[in-house]
Amino acid sequence: MRGFREVGWVAAVAGTALGCYMVSLKVASERAALEQVENRIVLAQRDIRVLQTEIGTRGRLEQLESWNVKVLALSAPQAQQFLEGEFQLATLAAPTKKIDPSAPIVLASAPAPAPQGPALTDDDGGEAKAGPTARDLMQVASYKRETPQAPEKTVDKAPNPKPQPVKLVTPPAKPVAVIKADAAPKAPAAKVTDAKVAAKSDAKIKTTTSATPSPPKDAKARQ
Amino acid sequence: MNAPTPALVARPERLKLVGQRRQLLGIMHQRLMVGMLIFGAVILAIVLRLTWLGLFGDHAGRQSIASTSLPSRGDIVDRDGQPLARTIDSWTVALQPSKVIGDKKALAVELSRLMPEKDPAGWLAEINSSKKFIYLRRRAAPRLVQALNALGEPGIALSREPDRLYPQTDLAAHVLGSTNIDGHGASGMERAMDKQLTEAATRGEPLVLSINARVQQALEHELLSAKTQFNALGAAGVLLDIHTGEVLAMTSLPQLNPNVAGNMDAEARFNRATLGVFELGSTFKPFTVAMALDTGAVKSMGQIYPCYDRFLRPNGRAVTDTHPFGRPCSVAEIMMESSNIGTAQIAGQVGTEHQRKFLEGMGFLGKVEVELPERARSLTIPKASWDLSTTMTVGFGHAIAVTPLHLALGYATLYNGGIYRPATLLKVDRGHPVAKGRRVFSEDTSYKMRSLLRLVVTKGTGKKADAIGYRVGGKTGTAEKIIGGRYSKTVNITSFAGVFPMDEPRYAMVVMLDEPKGTADTYGFRTAGWNAAPTFGKVVSRIAPMLGVRPDMKRDANMSEVLPFVREEK
Repeated sequence: MRGFREVGWVAAVAGTALGCYMVSLKVASERAALEQVENRIVLAQRDIRVLQTEIGTRGRLEQLESWNVKVLALSAPQAQQFLEGEFQLATLAAPTKKIDPSAPIVLASAPAPAPQGPALTDDDGGEAKAGPTARDLMQVASYKRETPQAPEKTVDKAPNPKPQPVKLVTPPAKPVAVIKADAAPKAPAAKVTDAKVAAKSDAKIKTTTSATPSPPKDAKARQ
Repeated sequence: MNAPTPALVARPERLKLVGQRRQLLGIMHQRLMVGMLIFGAVILAIVLRLTWLGLFGDHAGRQSIASTSLPSRGDIVDRDGQPLARTIDSWTVALQPSKVIGDKKALAVELSRLMPEKDPAGWLAEINSSKKFIYLRRRAAPRLVQALNALGEPGIALSREPDRLYPQTDLAAHVLGSTNIDGHGASGMERAMDKQLTEAATRGEPLVLSINARVQQALEHELLSAKTQFNALGAAGVLLDIHTGEVLAMTSLPQLNPNVAGNMDAEARFNRATLGVFELGSTFKPFTVAMALDTGAVKSMGQIYPCYDRFLRPNGRAVTDTHPFGRPCSVAEIMMESSNIGTAQIAGQVGTEHQRKFLEGMGFLGKVEVELPERARSLTIPKASWDLSTTMTVGFGHAIAVTPLHLALGYATLYNGGIYRPATLLKVDRGHPVAKGRRVFSEDTSYKMRSLLRLVVTKGTGKKADAIGYRVGGKTGTAEKIIGGRYSKTVNITSFAGVFPMDEPRYAMVVMLDEPKGTADTYGFRTAGWNAAPTFGKVVSRIAPMLGVRPDMKRDANMSEVLPFVREEK
């Protein structure tokens, strides 16, 4: 057995050396693989760069402009097409004021219509107590401009349960009061809703008339 | 050993032999040992070398070329990062006649099919020539490279080499310049910034120019359509940020394609914006009025000058107007109608010394200051012979020829509060701060001039430049071109120099047309008000929104400073 000791040593040293060599070999191969990956990354980056350049060249500004001008017939926006904000945008969508040719011409100084006129009917042919007709709205709109406080007054008077025939001679500036007086003797309970509806529609008309609608500018955009 | 023992008796020759053998054995052992040591040393050396290589060595398949993504020349981008110049690898195909092994005639036929610029006989002559290396095609298309590779001829060499490409082709071509065959800058910013673009430490980062590609495109497009419409020889345009001196757009027409810069003619390669000097005429008049305001010669826009049919300079030569007032008129009216007679008198009041000082301050007497290598010096009368008559002539923009960039810098100086700063083509940011300026005009003068220039556009000769909502102020200039040393009556250089928005000036622009012709639309007129001014207006209405200037009908310069001094004509 003593004779084998040297052999054992030699084997151990050789084994260790071989092991070390294997480790270093493994490290080297890993390093090579890593390098290969790095190379591939660099090559991919180059390809990306080339492709980006190609896309940039094909979509160059001069080319886009010639398509815009010759094919799509687009042009830069005019100064009038720039808006200040959402409010200005909303004004473009406001409904335009329609003139009803059948409405009677009411002069500013005209006396209030007589209360004994025919009963008003709405579009469905029912009684007109539920709301005013287009004719009434026209009158209200033209008067309300001068007397903006009128709808508040009518609302104030709405809860008044007693019919007041004296109101029949209200000044022409408050036509809603006239309607109310007209309907009041028949149904005092309905009067409240009637007045409310009137007040509501007043407000509606006020907003539509106070906003100065401007025509949409699409026509210019196409030039 | 002297007395031989009877027991051990050996023949002396035998003993001798034993001694010899021993000696021989010793030598052999010695030699063997030496041989083994050498052998061991060699093995040790090999093992050590192997270990060394295993630990630190390169492996056989290593590609050192692709180990870096650094381009061989830095990119150039616009202020928003859009690439204007890039270096990419392109294919180069070459022929090495000595290495051709296949059928030469068949190869010549194939080459002629793929590259029809030469017939088979021509290609055969090339293949049989004694040259070692012939470029077949540089910057070859991939399809051609593939087809040539498929021929399988070892005499055809395919290689990749870095190539400078300008993706936007004509855009800002004169600013960018071009490179030569060695990859070094030959002109423009490529040449001016060559060191930064090629050095390994700096070329990784792109060079950021002050140019805005979209604005540049708009300016180029509008100028090109004006050049076509008015059948002009050339055109130039410069747009400056007046507070920083950054050039946001600069163009010169006819167009130049930097990808084939060498093949373009000299007219196209000439940068009119920085290299061309022109007598720009009436666009100089605002400077004269500003000088007079600054020196106190003019105290109010209502100061009256006699503007009759003609005015005699001290040298006896008369100054005339195209539309003479025939009456005394105010400074505001002189500017509005671009009166030479009035301006000459104002310049006379300013005096030669002051005028030269101001012109020097605005950089009008030297080379235009910008990074480009293509820069021109202004042309004017030498100082020694600069008399009062010259002062008067220069006052309305004659006898001095400057580049469009000079003029734009002058307007920038006049409207940024009176401080001259050299122009720059590099983006102003932390790494490149605003250049140090020098005061030329007072802030008050700069402010007063706003309404005066706005008046020219609202009521005067520059009405067609009024881009609605953008508060343009500016001045037309029509100068007769010098042909054969004499002023021509039929050939003009028209220009429009202006600033916007006038209520708070931010940008100065100069538009120039070289030899525009009259058209039916202009009723045959060739003056600046009919061609340069509308071009200016069109450009402004396109670029102002891109530059962040909102159209606003409610804002304007303080026109109450000048309007009271303008007589309403009936």
